[in-house]
Amino acid sequence: MEETNFVLLWKEQYEKIDQSLAINRKILQELTSQKAASTLQSFIRFKTRGMIAAVIYLLLLGAVLFYAVSHYVSAANYFIVSMGAIFLINLKALSDYIRHVVLVKNIDYNGTVTGIQEKLSGLQLSVIQHSRFMVLQLPFWTTFQLSGTWFPHTVGWGYIIFQCFITVAFGLLALWLYKNLTIKNVDKKWVKVLVEGAGGKHLVKAISFYKEIEAFKQ
Amino acid sequence: MTTSDTYHRFLSVIELHKGIIYKVANSFCANAEDRKDLVQEIILRLWKSFESYDDQYKYSTWIYRVALNAAISFHRKEKSRYHIQTPLSEGIFNLPDMERNHLADQRTMFLARFIAELKAMDRALMLLYLDEKSHKEIAEIIGITETNVATKIGRIKQVLKQKFAQLNT
Repeated sequence: MEETNFVLLWKEQYEKIDQSLAINRKILQELTSQKAASTLQSFIRFKTRGMIAAVIYLLLLGAVLFYAVSHYVSAANYFIVSMGAIFLINLKALSDYIRHVVLVKNIDYNGTVTGIQEKLSGLQLSVIQHSRFMVLQLPFWTTFQLSGTWFPHTVGWGYIIFQCFITVAFGLLALWLYKNLTIKNVDKKWVKVLVEGAGGKHLVKAISFYKEIEAFKQ
Repeated sequence: MTTSDTYHRFLSVIELHKGIIYKVANSFCANAEDRKDLVQEIILRLWKSFESYDDQYKYSTWIYRVALNAAISFHRKEKSRYHIQTPLSEGIFNLPDMERNHLADQRTMFLARFIAELKAMDRALMLLYLDEKSHKEIAEIIGITETNVATKIGRIKQVLKQKFAQLNT
């Protein structure tokens, strides 16, 4: 088939349709006046549920931390430092979450197709950035139970070495994950496994679409 | 400008370019219900970005950008997520059945089918080509260089030609 025929065929198909197409003005008015907020409601609701859960978790952490600080005893030093770090890291995750919701709400589709689609895929993939930061709390979960009254002076070298090994191992694992859990590495199998675990099927779809746009632009 | 003035200006722009919205929705959704949802989604997106419309571009460029972005996003997401929460009982577009039958022509049906088989970005590109947009305008809408537009269109046309040739064998 000649190339001009594609265009002619297309024109033929849509020319008459274009002439006969009528707009239901009543529906259009209803849509633009009342239903404007419904577009991404379900997605926003999903994110809001996450935010409520994160706020409750932070309130609990905050309450425990507040109690420990207001009833300060030197024995709670490890607990206060560990919980403080965990609290701050989770607070940062919540602020990222809120930023995510605001970004989704404010996306204007009036941009180039590759630009907007990349932005949307990037937004979906930002969950990777969230999980990336969250891993930094790992080593603090190995120290919060220690007490200044018995650690390190009343325990044996074996326990000290074991504790240091566990904390350093979790610290190194956290740093390694933080460094490698990036969008650039989405092709790696272990990243895909972690991402699937964190966000489900739609993230894997977003990854492949992100790659598709990258390939398309070349 | 009052909200009413803005709405009437919006209405006249949509009236003038309704064919673009229909074509995009038709090319990205085979199912009538999905198509109705997508048309609503496109109109909502257009309405939301109407105030920020940049008059250095033609209305058709703006409509194509918003409509294609909405269609590709709609196409990508799981249906349940994007399904409009409070669907309208009727569609925004009314089309007499006799006009719909134009689609029944065999060659046009195959062209529509082959285009539907393309990847989302290639499909967007092809829609613009078939609507006789210049390479410059396609580049502005899609966000790639004019040279890249020409190369990609050439490749897609080859694929379509091969598919039509296979039909004849």
